[in-house]
Amino acid sequence: MLKILIPTLLLIPTSWLAKAKWLWPTTLLHSFIMTLFSLAWLKNTSETNWSTLNPYIATDPLSSPLLTLTCWLLPLMILASQDHLAQDPLVRQRIYITLLVTLQLSLIMAFAATELTMFYVMFETTLIPTLILITRWGNQMERLNAGTYFLFYTLATSLPLLITLLALQNKTGTLSLLIIQLLGPIPISPSVNIIWWTTSLLAFLVKMPLYGVHLWLPKAHVEAPIAGSMSLAAVLLKLGGYGMMRMMLILSPLAKELCYPFIILALWGVLMTSSICLRQTDLKSLIAYSSVSHMVLVAAAILIQTPWGLTGALILMIAHGLTSSALFCLPNTNYERTHSRTMILTRGSQMILPLMATWWLITCLANLALPPLPNLMGELIIISALLGWSTWTIIFTGAGALITRTYSLYMYLMTQRGPVPNHMISMNPSTSREHLLLTLHLLPLLLLVFKPTTIWGSAY
Amino acid sequence: MNPYLLIVLLTSLGLGTALTLSSTHWLLAWLGLEVGTLAILPLMAQRHHPRATEAATKYFIVQATAAATLLFAAFNNAWLQGHSDIQHMSHPLFTSMITLALLLKLGLAPMHTWMPQVIQGVSLNTGLIVSTWQKIAPFILLLQIKQIHPPLLTIIGLASILIGGWGGLNQTQLRKILAYSSIAHLGWILLILQHSTALATYALLIYIFMTSATFITLKKCKATTINMLTTTWTKAPTITLVAPLMLLSLGGLPPLSGFAPKWFILQELTQLNFIPHASIAAMAALLSLSYYLRLSYSITLSLSPNNLPECLQWRVNYPISTPLSSALPAALALTLFLLPLTPSALTLII
Repeated sequence: MLKILIPTLLLIPTSWLAKAKWLWPTTLLHSFIMTLFSLAWLKNTSETNWSTLNPYIATDPLSSPLLTLTCWLLPLMILASQDHLAQDPLVRQRIYITLLVTLQLSLIMAFAATELTMFYVMFETTLIPTLILITRWGNQMERLNAGTYFLFYTLATSLPLLITLLALQNKTGTLSLLIIQLLGPIPISPSVNIIWWTTSLLAFLVKMPLYGVHLWLPKAHVEAPIAGSMSLAAVLLKLGGYGMMRMMLILSPLAKELCYPFIILALWGVLMTSSICLRQTDLKSLIAYSSVSHMVLVAAAILIQTPWGLTGALILMIAHGLTSSALFCLPNTNYERTHSRTMILTRGSQMILPLMATWWLITCLANLALPPLPNLMGELIIISALLGWSTWTIIFTGAGALITRTYSLYMYLMTQRGPVPNHMISMNPSTSREHLLLTLHLLPLLLLVFKPTTIWGSAY
Repeated sequence: MNPYLLIVLLTSLGLGTALTLSSTHWLLAWLGLEVGTLAILPLMAQRHHPRATEAATKYFIVQATAAATLLFAAFNNAWLQGHSDIQHMSHPLFTSMITLALLLKLGLAPMHTWMPQVIQGVSLNTGLIVSTWQKIAPFILLLQIKQIHPPLLTIIGLASILIGGWGGLNQTQLRKILAYSSIAHLGWILLILQHSTALATYALLIYIFMTSATFITLKKCKATTINMLTTTWTKAPTITLVAPLMLLSLGGLPPLSGFAPKWFILQELTQLNFIPHASIAAMAALLSLSYYLRLSYSITLSLSPNNLPECLQWRVNYPISTPLSSALPAALALTLFLLPLTPSALTLII
């Protein structure tokens, strides 16, 4: 683990000492090398599931796909930010890269933590770089409100989580995941049962987000710069799912009836957020609500706590991470040319940027869960798991899947087909940087078709 | 101020606190507190502005009242008990009276109303001294009193955190904001005082580092209102970079130092099964965080509408390097990076 953590930490001096001409290529190259090393985590041959084990850091089949996704995303964020930061002064470019690297460090340590306290501290640490990214480098005035919503929604629920973790440490004597998984049910008086359960999971449900507490997400995703949107959509939401899966181990015997309201919220949220996507005028807002609709499905799957549910949740998290990140990169290419996110103003780009239309097509097809992509694998496993849990859920998940396909197709047709507006006729052609960016998003997705065992975790 | 006078006053200030810290008899403790109060009054009033005079007057009256109450209760206790030892007080009424007197000196709710007005009226350097140095002596006395009625400290602590959070929300003057932040942090310290003196000392120490860093930063930017913070990026870009981190450390966000006292206080409270107290304190900390976030928005994260001359202010003899500003790097480093060193820091204090 240190062979990834120390180079990532040293990317910060690299970004400050590199010459102006070599800043972006250097940081890009080094983050790619670290990504290459991180692919080694995907191989897990230990019988106890924990590999690269030491008292503070370990990886298991649940966290290693998320870790690899995190490491994969840093070079992609650096690649995506190159264009819009080119006009910033050099110092600010260096600060930006430092922020991305700090975010990366805290994410790696969060996913790899064995102690729940370390996980909590790193979970909160990811808030500061993201807040600075959103509020400093966002493009509209609403970014301040977005930063406030983001910070306070997360903190208002994670402070009770801190208290719950401390109380848990008091009861069991340890917060190490290696030990807690072996402990068995925790004796808690029934009256505080509900509070215990709620405070443990609410922080992660807000992060995922669950439908009722999802308001921060469209704000934060829309106002963030591209690297912020990518990391938010791809990795930060998965922190919530990962945290939930870890905490459920400790809480499991208590949770049978307690999770009903949340599952119902989640299923209703699938329908609601998918439907609202069809009425969005802002492209990034559409993708943000699409993120919400996928992640509430993941939340529902984790809450029912069946093996298939957890497997489907992890597969959909990874697939959604790559797809959503690609989906944010695509309107960003439009935004850099037209400085507008409104869908009516960026129509018909297939005529002007035909190669980009290929990526739009593949990404929208991935978003609507076309077989054989892992998006479908995840969705199908989750739908089956929910169906096994209760037959009525098929109404919500089926309708939700239908509306998902509808708005994904709608997004593709609105941006690519149709009449070309007059102001868009002379745009810069797509750069090879953008093509590389999207290839690197979609290639892993296509490769995962052939080996889904890497991302289906330990529950299968 | 005349340098000789300054030396005399600052020495008296140090002497007063040292006297209180090293005393076991209430009379000597009271003496130290009074010396401290008297020494800081000329420092507060040196500006000859009506607001400064008013602040000095208010400070004097409040501190004198507290000290008189302290002395009265101490002597009553000595009369009833036979000795005037600080650490062996037994009479509950007079113990409570002394505690309330000390809390009035510290400026905790509901005896907090003088704090914002006093700190607003004085200059930033003097406000720093009032916020940090003047808290040490009463705090040490509180540590030594054994038989305080537990609900008293808990209720006042929680009330201080809440009032510190709520009061600062509507302020634009930075010194008032820092006064309310002071009240909130002292509330946290008070919560844990009766359970773990080491943690209370640690919390006070981190609070002193953070508040010093903030005051020195504001002095360097010559900013006393939120609007004046918006031109910090023109004067000191490095401070602009670090100021949000410093403010978020005051707010108690990991991985900055300010998180450590909150974490350990919450841990101690949950271990003793005071979970409702811990929850209220934790959620009330979010109120304070909202005005720290507002400050960091004005300093770094947004660019206020301004015109060109405002960005190129007259800087006579700039950079001004006062003795205090050379302490800024140390204070900032301690404010930001102390969390990983917490275990060793705690062993130093316990």
